[in-house]
Amino acid sequence: MSTPSTQTIKTVSSKHAGNSRSPIVRGLTRFGVTLLTQRAALLSILLVGLIITMTVMDALDMLSGPYDAKYLASSTIALVGLAMLALAQLIVIVSGRGGIDLSVGSMVSLSGVFFGYTYGMWGWDLWTAFIATMVIGAVLGAINGILIAYVGFPPLIMTLATFYAYRSLALVFSDQKPINSPVIQEFYSAARAVQIPGLEFIPPIPLGVITFLIPTAIFVWILMNKTVFGRRLYAIGTNDVAALWTGIDVKATRMWAFTLSGIISSLVAIYTVAQFASARPDAGTSGSGMALPAITIAVLGGVAITGGIGRVGGVIIAGLLIVWLNAGILLAIPGNVGAQTPLLALGLVLIGSSLLNAATRKRFGGI
Amino acid sequence: MSAETTGMKSQKFDVKARILPPLVTGQEYALIGVLVLLWILLGIFTPAFLTAGSIQPLLGNVAPIALIGVGMTFVIITAGIDISVGAGIMVSAVVSAQLMVSFDIPLALVIPAAVGVGLGLGLINGLLVAYGGVHAIIITFGTLNLFQYLGLRIFGSQTVNGIPPTLEVFGNGAGGRIWGIPVSFAVAVVFILASWWFLRNTAWGRSFYAIGGNQNAARLAGIPVQTRVLSAYVVTGGLVGLGSLMVVAQGTNSLMQNVGQGRELAIIAAVVIGGTSIMGGRGSVLGTVLGAILVQTVVTGVTQLGWPSQLGNLFVGLFIIISVGADILRDKARSKSA
Repeated sequence: MSTPSTQTIKTVSSKHAGNSRSPIVRGLTRFGVTLLTQRAALLSILLVGLIITMTVMDALDMLSGPYDAKYLASSTIALVGLAMLALAQLIVIVSGRGGIDLSVGSMVSLSGVFFGYTYGMWGWDLWTAFIATMVIGAVLGAINGILIAYVGFPPLIMTLATFYAYRSLALVFSDQKPINSPVIQEFYSAARAVQIPGLEFIPPIPLGVITFLIPTAIFVWILMNKTVFGRRLYAIGTNDVAALWTGIDVKATRMWAFTLSGIISSLVAIYTVAQFASARPDAGTSGSGMALPAITIAVLGGVAITGGIGRVGGVIIAGLLIVWLNAGILLAIPGNVGAQTPLLALGLVLIGSSLLNAATRKRFGGI
Repeated sequence: MSAETTGMKSQKFDVKARILPPLVTGQEYALIGVLVLLWILLGIFTPAFLTAGSIQPLLGNVAPIALIGVGMTFVIITAGIDISVGAGIMVSAVVSAQLMVSFDIPLALVIPAAVGVGLGLGLINGLLVAYGGVHAIIITFGTLNLFQYLGLRIFGSQTVNGIPPTLEVFGNGAGGRIWGIPVSFAVAVVFILASWWFLRNTAWGRSFYAIGGNQNAARLAGIPVQTRVLSAYVVTGGLVGLGSLMVVAQGTNSLMQNVGQGRELAIIAAVVIGGTSIMGGRGSVLGTVLGAILVQTVVTGVTQLGWPSQLGNLFVGLFIIISVGADILRDKARSKSA
């Protein structure tokens, strides 16, 4: 994991430079190494393989419904919240020092309840309620961030504590009842599927993908790759002592990472209200919650839990892979078993890819 | 840490006494103080709290959390974590429930079956964590999904109904008490005392601290790191198996699919409130038990005070922040004085 990297690089490069094999073999070798070391490449191949397999199964009449573009497009409704929270985990995990946010699901619940009251019950207009909810999300995230960055709480523990606290507050404030009103039921239209004008060959896409997921993904991509803040985030995640000596305000940067996670959670909350046509106080925490799947997608997308490594593209492709795989399983395996098999697939893919990661990192370096 | 190393210089006979941590640490005294205070306050404000009818189920409910918390303490001391215990509870609970319903097997067979299933799950975790070179949180996130799948498949239908009273000895009813003490709690106490001695006084137990403090240093000192790490997860698995029987016994005669769900976080909360450092290398099972009792006291107290029961989790969250915050402040004071 750590020291032998220089040695392995040397052996790898000498193997590449010193061989007299044909360019095709060399190209294939390089392709193989890329697949093993670049998570996005591996996931893309898996994604293409999945779609081909499912299409063939569809053609052989082995599925209970058509696995076509329309089905794939409509199944992306499951992607919106999952991928946005996985992007939140990307930001937080990249910041290093065991960065992780277990409280995202509770922040979704709590800020969703706030949105439900302000927009649905108190008659605030949409944009005021929207902005106010984002502010609440920022505050909830900043509480995590301040205690982690400035006081020194381990992120796992701090966000475990706020997972409990925020979840409890969401249920207490809402009296454990979903918030429902005509305004909120109309807001359901924000989650409907739409045809993109001018691009009629693309089947109807859930509106949330266009209004929530894609803007968030673009924002996070720009933030991580094109801004000073993003470069600082990678720097503190790679080595925060070195980052401190280059003059980066490590604590403020880390604090903002958790604040951003809160803001993204509040956006997911608003989307979830639209999706369910009511503000459910357990929206992000029912079952095993939203945090664990989001972290799983982030890790599957190549985000290193040790910090400093992770890309938006990998996370989005990982999300697509899981969502479309689940959609395929539902068609291929009927009944109860079909609903349960995604758990098996998720677990196997996560463990398999992380073990592969560990092995290739030793051998070739890179993620 | 620094106090322990300076102890090396002193004469040979008191080296052992100096290297060993104190029997009860500062965090544990603070926890005992908070618990006594809470129990007195609850006793004053709710007449029903300090009665046998309230304390007995409280201790019974503490038992599985404290028992599995012992294993989790081992794991966290080695700088690992096990998120999959909730799903593990589900698997061994449903296996033992199905065995009892379908074959009506006696208690003497249910216990080894559940513990065996738990050990198997722990072995999977342990092998992957110890030999895979991947952080424990990722591995156990993965196995959490696998175990859930496994458990749901064994469930078959929505619930397992008509569970016979084979396990009433672990339950909260009259059959689960000897001289008024819940058997489940007594079992937990036996394991706690044994593992307290194990962690403090055996080389194997001390090696957990060494691995959590600095894995490379531990390896260079000749500790077989991988086997020791493996053992921590296997022990946790076995305790998950035993604890799941208590969970089944304390429930109704039908088992729901959400059994065990969220328990992993409650167990980690108990361990952390008990003063075990999530970074590894420091912690004790005594603290974990106190943490588990504190969490359950708050949950019971909130209901008995007539407050919204969901408020209990707010206090659990606050207790985590306070106890870890106190630990951080003490640590800062320690490093300043050193």
